[in-house]
Amino acid sequence: MRKLQSLVAAAVAATLLAGCGGGNPSPGESGAASSAPGAGSADTLVVYTNSNGEGRGDWVTKKAGEAGFNIEIVGAGGADATNKLIAEKNNPIADVAFGLNNMYFSQVKAEDVLEPYKPAWAGDVDTSLADGETYWPLVKQAILLGYNSDKFSKDTGPQDWTDLWTKDEFKARYERVTGLGTATAQLVFAGILTRYRDDSGDLGISDEGWKQVEQYFQNGSPAVAKTDLFARIASGEVDMGQMPSSIIAEREKSFKVNVDTATPSVGVPLAVEQIALVKGTKKKEQAQNFIDWFGSAEVQGEFAKQFNSMPVNKGAQAQANPEVVDFFADLKQQDIDWDFVQENMGAWVEKIELEYMT
Amino acid sequence: MSGSSPVRSMARSPFVLVVGVVLTWFIAAFLVWPNIHVLMATFFPDGSFSGRAAEKLFSSQRAMKALGNSFLLAVALSITVNVVGIFIVLVTHYFRIRGSRILFLGYATTFIYGGIVLAAGYKFIYGDKGIVTSLLLQVFPGMDPAWFSGFFAVLLVMTFATTTNHMLFVANALKGVDYQTIEAAKNLGASTWTILRRIVLPMLKPTLFAVTILSFLTGLGALSAPQVLGGRDFQTITPMILTFTNSPTSRDLAALLAVILGVATMLMLAVMSRLERGGTYFSVSKVSSELQKQDIRNPVANIAVHAVAYLLFAVYTLPVVLIVLYSFADGAAIQTGQLTWGSLTLDNYVRVLTQPAGLRPFVVSVAYSALAALIAVGGLLFVARLLQKYRNWVASLFEYLLHIPWILPSALLALGLIISYDHPNPMVGGAVLTGTTVILLIAFVTVKIPFTLRMLKASFAAVNSSLEEAAAMMGARTLYVFRRILLPLVLPAAAAITALNFNSLLDDYDTAIFLAHPLFQPLGLVIKANTDGAEGTDGVANTFVYTVLLMVITGVTMYLVYGRSRRSGNRKRLPAAPAAGGASAAGVLAESSAPAGSSGSAAEEGVLPGPARRP
Repeated sequence: MRKLQSLVAAAVAATLLAGCGGGNPSPGESGAASSAPGAGSADTLVVYTNSNGEGRGDWVTKKAGEAGFNIEIVGAGGADATNKLIAEKNNPIADVAFGLNNMYFSQVKAEDVLEPYKPAWAGDVDTSLADGETYWPLVKQAILLGYNSDKFSKDTGPQDWTDLWTKDEFKARYERVTGLGTATAQLVFAGILTRYRDDSGDLGISDEGWKQVEQYFQNGSPAVAKTDLFARIASGEVDMGQMPSSIIAEREKSFKVNVDTATPSVGVPLAVEQIALVKGTKKKEQAQNFIDWFGSAEVQGEFAKQFNSMPVNKGAQAQANPEVVDFFADLKQQDIDWDFVQENMGAWVEKIELEYMT
Repeated sequence: MSGSSPVRSMARSPFVLVVGVVLTWFIAAFLVWPNIHVLMATFFPDGSFSGRAAEKLFSSQRAMKALGNSFLLAVALSITVNVVGIFIVLVTHYFRIRGSRILFLGYATTFIYGGIVLAAGYKFIYGDKGIVTSLLLQVFPGMDPAWFSGFFAVLLVMTFATTTNHMLFVANALKGVDYQTIEAAKNLGASTWTILRRIVLPMLKPTLFAVTILSFLTGLGALSAPQVLGGRDFQTITPMILTFTNSPTSRDLAALLAVILGVATMLMLAVMSRLERGGTYFSVSKVSSELQKQDIRNPVANIAVHAVAYLLFAVYTLPVVLIVLYSFADGAAIQTGQLTWGSLTLDNYVRVLTQPAGLRPFVVSVAYSALAALIAVGGLLFVARLLQKYRNWVASLFEYLLHIPWILPSALLALGLIISYDHPNPMVGGAVLTGTTVILLIAFVTVKIPFTLRMLKASFAAVNSSLEEAAAMMGARTLYVFRRILLPLVLPAAAAITALNFNSLLDDYDTAIFLAHPLFQPLGLVIKANTDGAEGTDGVANTFVYTVLLMVITGVTMYLVYGRSRRSGNRKRLPAAPAAGGASAAGVLAESSAPAGSSGSAAEEGVLPGPARRP
């Protein structure tokens, strides 16, 4: 009887402890894993990014390996990566983060998660695109209003976002978002709302500005889950909508549509992907070397060539797709007060989700 | 044995004490503390409470409407899933229907897939460019091509998508019905309908109550089906909860919404527990015999039942066939709905399977999911038994505490674990858990506790207590009785639960994204990386490929578990134990084992921050 009871105790304890203490869920190479926080084998850099899709993560890991860096990419969407960095600030797991745009990084910085570092290539980039202290610019992305150029010409197409709901020919012909979780959607609204800045208005925006948002939602055709805007343009459901510059060429080909983009007189919002050192990393020197390597003209040039992106590093632009470089050369950047946006974006998203989305 | 047992008698059993101590520690360390921690941080950011969240939410028309829609769907689903679920269980297991094995395989397709791909599958058929719609348009040129949308479409799709629990657990309970009772009733002249209503269905009640709670939860947490088919007028609250969870300044709104849904779930649970109480759900005959299939004597009814059964078969199988077909098409064809035989290629599979990460994420996910599923079921076997046996306030308290993971979205559960265990904490012997491989396992186990507990408790309720009493009177010890009498009886259900838990964890994203060890990243993160972003062409095609690959894994799992449980079930079967039937399933699900806004799978959401595997 006694024996049996202690057996029960042992069995129950073992079962639960297997779950809570000693569980080693990965077959093979588990030894190093469950040890120290900070994770991984001694020389593996843990890199958080939202820029790992479409083979980018694998490409960076491979190239870094050739350059002598052993890195492990942890991919997550922009918002997830931001939340993860902030949640882990007492015991950071990442050593480096890249790919998040200035809006996300200013949020991360405000939580004191980043360590100041000036990369070797700091002189080759336009520091006004970042904070000049903790995060540094890598890649430029324009957030555009694109339209079907088989249906509209430069003159008959929309010239600016506000045309979508003020001109009858565009009403119900543009796709509007059904959630503000993505960086692209947030930047579109940053671009629209900051034009109506009014410190006495609700959340720093005048009534006129909020009216634009209301109109945007009332007149647009809601996005369809798992159906790309280009697929809807191809089938004629809608003719226009928001799109980041880097995807346009590839989607035009896949869906056999032609798209042109509006050039508003105020300019277009730029999302600038950045890189930063995480505060509390135990591999500081190695992480700094990685940042120096990844942001260098050579690596950024190869990256741009491979993924059709627009590098910020001036030395890298020669290697980038000339069409892309020309496009950005002509592009007027919208002047946006990013501190103001960062301070208010959370509240704006909340207000829009609660009051204007239908 | 049954009825209410005072707390004092509980405290006398060493078995109870041991389980109690371990359980108390587990609940305190992993269910209560992290979640109180995260809720405090959410609602009292500066140490003082503000009514901001409630004020904002209740003045938002959209939030209130979406919340109302979620509740409407939950109530409607509790009814419709039971109707369809009971029908298909009877057709495959109770009545003599021609081709019932084929029918079973068709109905079992919901075991192996779900989420946004399922909703997309239905859209391929009934959507504005769908096959059925095109046919209908030829017959009725005037009809609206977009007829399949809104509440009606969402309810229909979700009903057919979530009958898995019926097929597994209700069918299993049906096998435990004593055939002698049915024969006796027949001899007394009872009709087919009377026997069904007065004898068969009452015996299924504990299981039906349990699956009804799950249907209710599925409705409350509906995500992908409304997104794909709901249209402008029928959107639910989960997408909003997910958006707000991801925004630090709005997290209080997400938590409040989740708590509202959680409280509703607990109320439902309380009502069901009250209904369940006091019934006798096992055969009381001395020698019970196995159920035999019944003829439907009325010829008209017989034809009607056959017709409906085969119509449902078509409804169930068509989407799966199309999903498999479309997984070989290119992303543009999937999204524009134009499929031609010539455009089918293996490219999608080659692309997904030749990534540098290779099979590693699959192995990591399989290992994590298997461990978590086994631990959850293994640990809760004891707990469920005790909760079912002792009915007093202590037991009720424990039971409700174990349902905490149903209240909060899994992203919040994960954040709670991080902020509680990112420093040495005495609760876990001074260890730091963040950055280890263990923390994700803990999260996986906790997330699966409520579902496991509900289903195990229901299967214990169907065990005839006289078996246990007889053994005890002959001098068997507690553990002996548990091991030799009870365990074999609940094993088929336990095996089915283990398989379901395993399958639903395979592609988890919501928890893993916050807790996974950088060197052991599970499948969900890889799926997300390959399907995410602006939807694109490859992303959508990859979603379909991963769905089909997961179908294969889950199908194989269920087959293995099914075969094993059936063999052992038969071997250990006691002559007087009617409840021991094999778990009658050849596939798996992931549906409805999860609460509002929790339990994510990456395969299905592109834009939304936190996906969840629901149609």
